[in-house]
Amino acid sequence: MANNTPQTPLSRRQWLQATAGGLGGLALTGLAPRSSAAGLLSPKAPHFAPKAKRVIFLFINGGPSQFESFDHKPELKANGGRKGVKKGTLLAPLYEFAQYGESGMWISEAFPHLAQQADSLCMLNGMTAPSRAHPIAIPMLHTGEFQFVRPSFGAWVLYGLGTENQNLPGFFTIKPTRTFGGPANYGSAFLPSTFQATRLGWDGQPVKNASIRNLSASHGLSSSAALSALELAQKMNQRLLNQTPDVQGVIDSLTLSEQMQDTVPEVMDISRESKDTLAMYGIDGGPADDFGRQCLLARRLTESGVRFVEVSSSGWDHHSGLDKFKDKAQQIDKPIAALLADLKRRGLLEDTLVLWSGEFGREPETQVLEGKETLGRDHNATGYTAWLAGGGCRAGLTHGLTDEFGYKTVEGEVHLHDLHATMLHLLGLDHTKLVFRYGGRDFRLTNIHGNVVHEIIG
Amino acid sequence: MSRPFISFASVVSLLLSGLLLSEIPALRAESPQAAGAKGKELFDKQIQPALVKYCYECHSKNGKSIEGGLELDSPSGMARGGDNGPMLTPHQVDKSSLVRMLRHEEDVSAMPPEEKLSDEEIAMFVEWIRLGAPDSRAEVGLTMKEQRMEAGKRHWAFVRPAPVAPPQVQLKDWPRDAMIDRFILSAIETHGMKPVADANRRTLVRRVYFDLVGLPPSPEEVAAFVADQSPNALAQLIDRLLDSPQFGERWGRHWLDVVRFAESSGMEFNFSYPHAWPYRNYVVDALNQDKPYDVFLREQIAGDLLPAAENETPAALEARRIAPSMLAFGPKRHNSGGLEFQMDVVDDQINTVTRAMLAMTVSCARCHDHKFDPIPTADYYALAGIFLSTEPLYGTIKQKYSNNPTDLLPIGPNAAAMHAAAESHAKKLQETEKTWVAKKEELKKAAEGEKLAVAKKAEVEKRLATAAVALAKATAQTDAAAQTDAAAAQSLAEPATQQALDEAIASVNKAAAQVAALKDAAKALEAQVAALKKNAPARPQYAMSVRDRAKPADTNVAVRGNYRDKGPLSPRGFLSAVEIENTPQIPADHSGRLELAQWITSQDNPLTARVMVNRIWHHLFGRGLVSTVDNFGMIGKRPSHPKLLDALALRFMHEGWSVKKTIREIMLSRTYQLSCTPAAKNMQIDPNNRLLWRAAPRRLEAETIRDAVLAVSGQLDFSRPVSSSVTPLGDKLVRGIPLEKLQPPSNYRSVYLPVVRDYVPELFDLFDFPSPSLVSGRRAVTNVPSQALYMRNSKFIAEQAQHAAQRLLASPQATDDAARVDLSMQWAFARAPTDAERAGALQLVEQVRQSLPEDDKTRDATAWAAWFQTLFVTAEFRFLVDIN
Repeated sequence: MANNTPQTPLSRRQWLQATAGGLGGLALTGLAPRSSAAGLLSPKAPHFAPKAKRVIFLFINGGPSQFESFDHKPELKANGGRKGVKKGTLLAPLYEFAQYGESGMWISEAFPHLAQQADSLCMLNGMTAPSRAHPIAIPMLHTGEFQFVRPSFGAWVLYGLGTENQNLPGFFTIKPTRTFGGPANYGSAFLPSTFQATRLGWDGQPVKNASIRNLSASHGLSSSAALSALELAQKMNQRLLNQTPDVQGVIDSLTLSEQMQDTVPEVMDISRESKDTLAMYGIDGGPADDFGRQCLLARRLTESGVRFVEVSSSGWDHHSGLDKFKDKAQQIDKPIAALLADLKRRGLLEDTLVLWSGEFGREPETQVLEGKETLGRDHNATGYTAWLAGGGCRAGLTHGLTDEFGYKTVEGEVHLHDLHATMLHLLGLDHTKLVFRYGGRDFRLTNIHGNVVHEIIG
Repeated sequence: MSRPFISFASVVSLLLSGLLLSEIPALRAESPQAAGAKGKELFDKQIQPALVKYCYECHSKNGKSIEGGLELDSPSGMARGGDNGPMLTPHQVDKSSLVRMLRHEEDVSAMPPEEKLSDEEIAMFVEWIRLGAPDSRAEVGLTMKEQRMEAGKRHWAFVRPAPVAPPQVQLKDWPRDAMIDRFILSAIETHGMKPVADANRRTLVRRVYFDLVGLPPSPEEVAAFVADQSPNALAQLIDRLLDSPQFGERWGRHWLDVVRFAESSGMEFNFSYPHAWPYRNYVVDALNQDKPYDVFLREQIAGDLLPAAENETPAALEARRIAPSMLAFGPKRHNSGGLEFQMDVVDDQINTVTRAMLAMTVSCARCHDHKFDPIPTADYYALAGIFLSTEPLYGTIKQKYSNNPTDLLPIGPNAAAMHAAAESHAKKLQETEKTWVAKKEELKKAAEGEKLAVAKKAEVEKRLATAAVALAKATAQTDAAAQTDAAAAQSLAEPATQQALDEAIASVNKAAAQVAALKDAAKALEAQVAALKKNAPARPQYAMSVRDRAKPADTNVAVRGNYRDKGPLSPRGFLSAVEIENTPQIPADHSGRLELAQWITSQDNPLTARVMVNRIWHHLFGRGLVSTVDNFGMIGKRPSHPKLLDALALRFMHEGWSVKKTIREIMLSRTYQLSCTPAAKNMQIDPNNRLLWRAAPRRLEAETIRDAVLAVSGQLDFSRPVSSSVTPLGDKLVRGIPLEKLQPPSNYRSVYLPVVRDYVPELFDLFDFPSPSLVSGRRAVTNVPSQALYMRNSKFIAEQAQHAAQRLLASPQATDDAARVDLSMQWAFARAPTDAERAGALQLVEQVRQSLPEDDKTRDATAWAAWFQTLFVTAEFRFLVDIN
């Protein structure tokens, strides 16, 4: 039989321009207009003018110590070794603090690179959260709830705002933990599953080896054959258009899938970055390599229109081995500083909201394990530190205060629900109005709590 | 916060001068009458004006709101209190939280929130409460809460369905089912529309197959139905499919959605549930047996408590004991414990039972009265008492983060005997192991003793030798010094006599003998342990279940959902808004589960039958007559055809709660058999097809898409797995189990794939399988690129396309390429290709063939696999639409 199939000299992109049908022009801009495929994810107007358009959440898993990082406690230092208010003895912070930037923000010597970005940070020293237990606190941080399965923060944001680039998933989580709720921490619960995160890798595995499922084909057909198959399927789909608009949804989703096959690997390919950029993020095989890749990916993804990216660093549960805190900090210090600087030089920081937070912080006292003191600190959710950067938060501000030793917040409290409410506010969403009706009730990220903290808004 | 210290006497005397001036409160002994009169006066002169001034704005009918459910503008509202229960107890200041609120104390809401009352004003309230808190206001009719309750009881869903004759219609010949079709047509006609034409027979047979068994019809089945012109053809087809085992596998899954079936605990520590699967089989079997729906529900709530039916088979008995697994496999925080754990389990049980069976969101009343429906917290805790008196049996083992293991229900032939034997064997093993460990400990000590004895003997020998040498040396000398030495040597050797040596030797021998004996004993025990381990009797299979606790009890309302804050006792009972004649009474020594089951399945219950016929309708039309299938409450949607819903519910009950009959009747209605193709005029009047003037195009569910792929590829395994792939994994934290073990490759029907919370199979996740932690009678339908990527690129689809190609190439029904295109289309779409499709398919196949070397043995298979990949990604493959 003669091969009368025209060889396909067209590139995917050209083909798409020719066949995209209802999505004319889509391939040219790389941005999809509202289409039924993307209906749920198409950009939506926020409740009011937003200051931030996207979120990068740096999840510091385990409860990073504020005393070795961002909460300057000279009294704790002076009283190290003395009896504490609780059971143990006060543990003096291990590192020197100094003031940085025009704002004079206090930062410990464990974060020398980040210190150079001090004027971009909005330091929240008065954070509080409802629980000092990982299994409760991690779902609380991610979903605002722990007793029930609820949508994750990213899912809510995606539900509220849609996403700007239909060629990419709108919500990514990079190297999430499988513990303490695992996938529920980036799930959609009762929201349509479209709003759950696309997972890239797992905690404990190098991000270098992570990939998105089904982007590359398992069928072994040549790309021209695969394209012919798609073209044929799309023709067959056209026949059903008179019956239901959902068929247009299928057509669009197939077209978009074709574009994603191009776009996603492009976005994920950090080798396209300059040597200088890679070096700036610490991607050099050294201790910061893995987290540097995560941060760089976060920048590339958000830059390409992804609404919400979470990256994770685990191993911050310093019940012992606090003397290794600096090593730990070294893994993230340079990458985060680079991320902020990179976003800034690209003009993205102003509308990209960056959150650095653990699920709680730590105690000012020395950890006692099995009756013996060890060089570490126990969990503490009554006063800890998180910070925001960009996205309309007040840069250079240090907000909130813990008592002289750092047991508890005494001023400028930002409760976890307040943080969620404020971040939604910066995204143009009223946390009391971003609701979804399920099981006879309107649910929201902040449940029945949360106040917008206007003082930290720039 | 410290309480403001004010002398009671001084304040009162200052404040109430003229009234109580001469009295010293602490010493007062007034008559109740006198106190009442004083209190009343105090109320009229001071308290009421204060209430109006400070409280009415947020706590009265005419105020801007009624915060916290607290109404202070009537005596009854005042006495009842708000969501937190009563806030004042006459005569008992200490028990009146109102006082603490007025004082702005910690852990209560400070009232009024903006400005604290003066100390004098607060003291006035204190005195009034002490005097019995009399309230002279007239009642102002029902409080808002009472009004809402009364209005709520009149809500359509709480009113029992009443029989209504189907309406007259203009198109008299149109109806096939005299009831359904007349209700539907009447509404269509009232809106100036006409229903579209009937679906053609191909469309219909494909729709019926997917709806009833979740599988595509074979080309032969399609051809037979298309050819069968008898008026009974459809009824016969429906009956055949209702009788096939695949029916229960399809419709059982619908129920599993509603009861949030899963095989792990979910939540922050997700433990596997290896013994949830028998319930899955129970549901599939119950549907296949057409177990009456009321029995089905009673078994799931109280199967363990039901009286034995006449001639009940052991299998039937076992089934009804498995059925209440539904109360046991809900999401749980096994790391939690005590009453907190129990209350969370109970909440999940109340939520699941009331939403699945009654479409009521009773859980909303855990912390406060239901905001919309007539469900007070008292009702919630009436139900909570029933479930707290019930012990869920979900298994799990005691391990880190798992604090609450329970028994399980042994099942299968000889289950009880096997379980008893296995348990007694396990106990014996445990005891033997204990003895062995003790023996080893003994041996260790004995060995140490032997070591000591040997050392002692060596020391004695050494001393003897030293003494001998010294003595010999001394004996050889004659001087005085030497004499002294000899004496010293003698004395040195003194304890080391031969006798001491003999004793040392004896004790060495004794110790050695003891060690040898213990070694033998330990060895024997070790062998015994090994033998016991080796000869462990087979355990039976297990299922989850429940049982009544030894002492059933009522429970207190937990104020604001906090179980530590006890409100009034709420006697075990049911929903007060649902009034049923002969409401079952709960005997004190019963949990109340059996009575709850009877109450739910009473013919008088206005909800139960309606909810189920609506679920059936939802699955056959893509939308329920009440579109909010899990919520018939005030903020649920109202029924599109209320009278039809009632008629269906009544017929359902009269016909013995038969799910199969109801399905059959609906499918035989003309309404079900309509075409999907829209009519322009109707689209203008009712674009959302609320009135069902056409059949709604529907996307297949995740399971059906997968099963259809496997059916086309010929790989579907119709057998039922013995248990679940979760069962051999044991009781584990899911996070530690590799994904390939959680989701092993399988060709079983989708209903038998493991449902591990947070780890459902990829295809399920992409195609809107609901979260198995949540009750969901209605699934989302999304259309996103990740689905397209899966259908185009995934390993599963690629493999099945290969299998389908091989099946096609091996088929004697198609021996040339054109015939192959035709047959593959029949498999996938139940129709022949259009000319353009055939040409396109042939072109694609040829293109792939040409791209491969001629001697490639897989050339044809690869080429046809490309075509099947194409079929699988099309909309037609996964949508129920008209076949043209």
